[in-house]
Amino acid sequence: MMFSMMGSWLGRARQSVLVVAAAGALVSGCASRDQDVWDPIELPNRFIFSINQAVDVIALRPLAVAYRDLVPEPAQRGINNALHNLGEPVTAINEVLQGDPGRALTTLARFIVNSTIGIGGLFDVASAMGLSKTKEDMGKTIGMWAAAPPEDGGPYLVLPGMGPSNARDAAGMVFDNAVDPFNILAYALNWDRLLVLGPRNAARAVDARSRTLVALDDIEKNSVDFYAAVRSAYTQQRGELIRRKREKTDTRGELERREDLALVR
Amino acid sequence: MVVSRRILCGTALAFLVLPAQASDAAKFVEVLADKVVELVKSRTGAERQAGFQEIMQASFDLPYMGRSALGTHWGRASEEQRSRFLKAAESAESKAYSERFGSYAGQTMAIGKVSPRGGGVIMVESSINQSSGPPIRVEWELQDRGAGLRVTDVRVEGVSMVMTRRSDFNAYIQRNGGDVEVLIKELESRAAR
Repeated sequence: MMFSMMGSWLGRARQSVLVVAAAGALVSGCASRDQDVWDPIELPNRFIFSINQAVDVIALRPLAVAYRDLVPEPAQRGINNALHNLGEPVTAINEVLQGDPGRALTTLARFIVNSTIGIGGLFDVASAMGLSKTKEDMGKTIGMWAAAPPEDGGPYLVLPGMGPSNARDAAGMVFDNAVDPFNILAYALNWDRLLVLGPRNAARAVDARSRTLVALDDIEKNSVDFYAAVRSAYTQQRGELIRRKREKTDTRGELERREDLALVR
Repeated sequence: MVVSRRILCGTALAFLVLPAQASDAAKFVEVLADKVVELVKSRTGAERQAGFQEIMQASFDLPYMGRSALGTHWGRASEEQRSRFLKAAESAESKAYSERFGSYAGQTMAIGKVSPRGGGVIMVESSINQSSGPPIRVEWELQDRGAGLRVTDVRVEGVSMVMTRRSDFNAYIQRNGGDVEVLIKELESRAAR
C-alpha cells in the first residue's frame, strides 16, 4: 500500500537528535523541576549546552552547511560509507554482547567486503549483496539489558563538544572507544593520535552535523526552550532504539517457545 | 516480569481489536497523507499554512493534544487562557508544518502494522521512503474520543510531538516564574510574527 507523501525535513530528523554536536541555550539559569527527564545537574548542563551552541554557530554549523552544499553528493556518500565502515568492528562487538553473534558475523562480513571490494569502505557493496547495515553502541547494549525503562539512562548529561547524552550513553561511549580496534591499533603502534584519529573524528563531526541541520533548525525554531526540547527528543529517540531492540528479542523468544512446544507435541 | 506482562497485554488486546477498526485506522492515515501531499504540491506561503490549519482542525484532536502538551498547567489555567493557548499553539504548529515541507520531492509513504494500545488508542506505523537515505519511521496515534477517529500524536523515529512540546512548554513556564500566562503570551507573539 504505497502512496505519496513528503517530508524532506524528516530526512534528517532521524539522526537529528543522536548527534547533536550542536545545541544551544536560549537562556541559562535556574534548574527546572520538569521531571520527564531526570536532569539533576541541569544548571551545568545548560551552561555546556550554550558553549556547544556558540562553537556550533561559529564553526561546526557553517562547516556542515558548506559540506552539504558544496561537496558533490557521491563524495558525501563515500565519506559516510567509509566512516560507517570504520565503526563496524564496534558494532560487531556490541552485537555479540547483545546476544546476537549471528548478526555480529554479518557485520564482520560487511566490514571485510566493504574494506576490500568497497575500496576502504568508500562503497557499500555489502548492502547490495544483501548484508544489511546496522549500527550498535554500548549505550544501547546497556539499555537492552538494564532493568530500567528504555527512557531511563540515568542522569541527563550535555558533553562538551558532543552534545546530549546521559550516564548510560556516556559510559557506553567510553567503552566503545576503548574497544575500537582502530584506537587500540593507534595506541599499540604508537601513532600520533591527533594526526591519525583527528581526521576521522573531524570528518565524523561534520558528516553527522550535516545530517542534523534540518531537524535541529526545526527544533530550535519551533521550541520555546531549545535545551528542554533537545533533552526530551534525545531521550525519546534513544529510548525508542532500545525499546525496539528489546522487542526484537521478545518476539524471538516467543517464537522459540512456540517451536519448543511444537517439538513436544 | 515486565516483559511477560507486555506480551500478555499485547496478545490479549490483539484479539479485541476488530479487523474493520484496524483498516479504518489505516485508511484514515492514508487519506490524511494524501490531503497533505495535495496541499504541498498546490499551495505555498500563507495559503499553505491555512490549508494545514484546516487539515489539522479536521483530522487532529487539537484540544486533547493541547491539554496533554500543557500537562499539569492545564488544570491551573483559566477557561480563557486555555482557549487562547489552543489558538496560539494551533497556528504555531500549522505554521511549522507548512514551512517544514519545502517542496514535494516524490516521497512515498507505506502503511505498516496497525496495533491497538490500552484505552482505545490505535497506533498506525508507517514509513516514509525518500529518494535518498533510509526510510523514516512515523507512527500515528489515533483515538476516537466521540467525534470519530482523530490523530492524537505523531511520533517520528520514536520522538513524540506531544511529549516534546510538553517538555518544552513545562521548562519554559518553570523558568519564567511558573505562570502559564508567560507561555501563552510568547506563543501569541510568535504566531503574530
